Amino acid sequence: MREIPFKHRMGAHCESGTVSSLLNHAGMEITEPLVFGIAGGSFFGYMNTPFFSFPTIILRNRPGQIRTKVAKRLGIPFNTQKFRNQKAGIEALDTLLEQNIPTGAQVDFFYMKYIPEWQRVHINVHYITVTGKNEENYILSDSYYPKIAELDKELMRKARSAGGNMAPKGFLFYPGKIPETVPFDKAIIAGIKSACNNMLKLPVPFIGVKGIYRFAEKIMEWPRLARDIEHLSHEIMKINVLLEDQGTGGAGFRYMYATFLQQASGIINNPTLSEMSKRMMEIGDGWRNISYIAAKIGKKRELGENNLKELSNLIKGRGDLEKAFFQDLVKTV
Amino acid sequence: MSEVNVNGLKDEIKDLIIEALNIQHVKPEEINTSALLFARDNNLGLDSIDAIEIVMAVQRKYNIRITDQNLARTVLESIDSIADFVAKELAHAE
Repeated sequence: MREIPFKHRMGAHCESGTVSSLLNHAGMEITEPLVFGIAGGSFFGYMNTPFFSFPTIILRNRPGQIRTKVAKRLGIPFNTQKFRNQKAGIEALDTLLEQNIPTGAQVDFFYMKYIPEWQRVHINVHYITVTGKNEENYILSDSYYPKIAELDKELMRKARSAGGNMAPKGFLFYPGKIPETVPFDKAIIAGIKSACNNMLKLPVPFIGVKGIYRFAEKIMEWPRLARDIEHLSHEIMKINVLLEDQGTGGAGFRYMYATFLQQASGIINNPTLSEMSKRMMEIGDGWRNISYIAAKIGKKRELGENNLKELSNLIKGRGDLEKAFFQDLVKTV
Repeated sequence: MSEVNVNGLKDEIKDLIIEALNIQHVKPEEINTSALLFARDNNLGLDSIDAIEIVMAVQRKYNIRITDQNLARTVLESIDSIADFVAKELAHAE
């Protein structure tokens, strides 16, 4: 048996939680919200492409970008490996554990059997930290679970080699040597500018604030797109899942971004960011209310035009507030 | 925060849940504060939408946000765990 001493932390989101835990283990004190904010994590996308069977919303940047952006902006090298061959992937992980290196791994969330079955779905971009192994199991730290967990070796193999979109391909990662000085100030400012750019300036009509407005507009067309009332109800209730449940950190990541701004305010000595944090918390409250209303009208099948219009107006209101928020935020740095 | 206050909080939270969810078939004294709130055999019969309503009600009453789902799962385990969380947050805010 080999178990590397590793401080387990619960997190709001698997990728930012895993990256912050790994960095802390490597000797760098950093919170999960700081990781999220430095990566420019706040995002919105209204996706209606053949790739999705029904329009959906995306609340965060592309999986993997939290690690890559943090690495770039803080100047921390991450070692990464991908494998075509499952056996090579298993051997590489075992070798890293023998070297006492806690290792981040991309897995299919469905196989994390320590999580209650009703919460588990097939998502190929779940991240965990593997911290050891014994005769039968790997020992791991999962931000979504309150303590160190164990996972059967066969399930770990399946989780790392699952097929489909964004397949893990055995992906492993861990930070290299942490530099003596880390440019927190510059990284925070770069992260804020990046989030503002994503929300305001990308020339794509379904991303950022434009995406929120599109969501508000297009949700009125959902009854026409749905097969029947059951399907429409399912899709409307999914708004709640996406905003509150699928590793969003609550209210579509807005609360985590607000916490980032609060912490950043102290680090770069910018009191305005603390005020912006309060505004973002309130924006998060509004998203949570949207999530609640969507769940309620979806569950009761109260999906007439008036209720959808109310939902649409609330979403548009978030768009107005986020537009003003990010326009003001970019002026503060 | 003292034990007495936590017990008082438990009663407040029972009332809060009954009022926020408009529960009419259960009286406050019939609620077991240590019982798992979302267990199938709980007499309150709560679901995931009720969970978010409780989160919002706690925020309205105590100005305390339960900001993420993983935290919510731990906090909303029982009336006892909600009271403990609220007590800790109120003490922290003082």
